[in-house]
Amino acid sequence: MSFIIANHLTRQYDLSDPWIVRMLTSNKRKQLTAVDDVSFSIDKGTTYALVGESGSGKSTIAKMVVGLLAPSAGAITFDGKMINDETISKADRQRLRRRIQMVFQSPYASLNPRWAVGDILKEPIRAFGLFDSRADQDKRVNELLDQVGLSARDANKYPHEFSGGQRQRISIARALSSQPDVIICDEPTSALDVSVQAQVLNLLKTLQKEFSLTYLFISHDLAVVSTMANKIGVLNEGKLVEEAVPSQLFAKPENPYTKMLIDAVPDFGKV
Amino acid sequence: MSGNAMIRRFLKSDFFYDFTHAPIAVVSFVVIMVIVTCAIFAGFIAPTNPFDPSSLELMNGFTPPMQPNAFTGDVFLMGADDQGRDLFSAILYGLRISLFVGVMAVILAMVLGILLGLTAGYVGGWLDNLIMRFADIQMTFPSILIAMLIHGVARGILPPELRYEMSITVLIVAIGLSEWVPFARTVRGSTMVEKEKEYVAAAQLIGLNRWQIMVRHILPNVLSPVLVIATITFALAIIAEATLSFLGVGAPRTEPSLGTLIRIGQDFLFSGEWWILLFPALTLLALALAVNLFGDWLRDKLNPRLK
Ligand SMILES: Nc1ncnc2c1ncn2[C@@H]1O[C@H](COP(=O)(O)OP(=O)(O)OP(=O)(O)O)[C@@H](O)[C@H]1O
Ligand SMILES: [Mg+2]
Repeated sequence: MSFIIANHLTRQYDLSDPWIVRMLTSNKRKQLTAVDDVSFSIDKGTTYALVGESGSGKSTIAKMVVGLLAPSAGAITFDGKMINDETISKADRQRLRRRIQMVFQSPYASLNPRWAVGDILKEPIRAFGLFDSRADQDKRVNELLDQVGLSARDANKYPHEFSGGQRQRISIARALSSQPDVIICDEPTSALDVSVQAQVLNLLKTLQKEFSLTYLFISHDLAVVSTMANKIGVLNEGKLVEEAVPSQLFAKPENPYTKMLIDAVPDFGKV
Repeated sequence: MSGNAMIRRFLKSDFFYDFTHAPIAVVSFVVIMVIVTCAIFAGFIAPTNPFDPSSLELMNGFTPPMQPNAFTGDVFLMGADDQGRDLFSAILYGLRISLFVGVMAVILAMVLGILLGLTAGYVGGWLDNLIMRFADIQMTFPSILIAMLIHGVARGILPPELRYEMSITVLIVAIGLSEWVPFARTVRGSTMVEKEKEYVAAAQLIGLNRWQIMVRHILPNVLSPVLVIATITFALAIIAEATLSFLGVGAPRTEPSLGTLIRIGQDFLFSGEWWILLFPALTLLALALAVNLFGDWLRDKLNPRLK
């Protein structure tokens, strides 16, 4: 059963000059179609990977799925409900937010440098009203830190006291803190060393099994994607050009763009 | 973190090391501390209370510094003014008013500037345009002119019996409103940088509203340049206060600030009573210079980009 369905998703960015400049120069409006009629679906408990070069529209799709950005056209259905519906009540919208969380690319910009780790993890717990007493919240923070391989003592530290890999673990713990069903991972390891990458990817896999999470996993790195995904979608200039399970995609890529991406990975057979 | 641990960490920090190795910073900081301490403890340090008319002895008028008065035999460290008021005491009490007006005006300008800058930077669009164009227009006028304008409006609105009581408040509002723009511009710039960072997206994801994101997340990250601007604005505010009082639209004669004292002193400069002008003017100069130099050092230290 499809848990998340993206239907003809399209997103345009307005790159026009200000209207007064357009009037004077008689330039036309300029629209950039960052995501162009993209449809895919993700089954519950599986990982769907989106691959593509920089600028292919991966982050734009991620932002639309979590609700940070409205689609110009098309819709997203989550667990049978349309989530880009303007008529959703505030309470329902908040319930939806709790179930779809995100892990970001930058280990540096994704954690507020002025907040202690414990407070960062407690914020979603409070925003969604998950645990009322302070003691329960503290207990939950310790549990989360433990789940991502950090220690309870780390709750009092600040983000700058951690390495990049550890920060991504904190980011993952924050996403977990609202007990979501879906986590969107937008290049969660692309800023990390290769050895650290593997650890974080393994953590994501372990957590997926433990909490039967559904992932939308975004990457430009086919090697990373091959170890994570149940299904892969290849994005090129905003269009979904090919979709297949990993073994099939690597063995018999149909689209020339996909072939090019695979050929660009050195020693891919060894991975 | 306990207070002790924080102090220990501060003493070991680069910031403190650089401070102790910058003579200008140390000297100006000491000057500021001495002046502020004298002002706060004016009640204990000053030999007389210059605001109490019954303590004044008119016979002491125009006594030069360190010379016994011909009639009463009283000696004044910095001389006495036309009313026989001890100038040293008057300066200490005057400093109090000047510093109070300066601090309150900076707080007002800071709160206003942070609020408007944060809103303009985060909300953007027409609101940003409105706030920043208003700031641009205000910046084309010298702030002292704006302060005088606000002062004039306040005088027009306030009933006459309140005018005198409210003169200090009006002074604070006038200076505060004339100095908010640098705060707003800096905060707006940093806000526009911060709001693109992913921790803000993470806060949006859990459904926080604009205010919660601005105040809880962005504000703590845009405050460090504010400290620098506050120091420099403080020096400007003290000078603005003195200027307004000198022009006769500030602190009243009966509760003189440094500026009022300078104005009084100016009347007697050409008749030979130089000390009535000189000592308040030197105090103002020392204070403004020290705050400015310290502010400059702080700016270079904390945020080289602000140059
Ligand atoms: N806010 C925006 N305004 C205008 N154009 C934008 C905006 N955000 C993204 N774009 C453009 O949309 C296209 C897709 O951007 P997107 O960030 O989705 O790419 P991406 O696949 O995530 O790339 P990367 O791997 O570099 O993160 C790019 O051409 C980008 O320049
Ligand atoms: Mg991206």
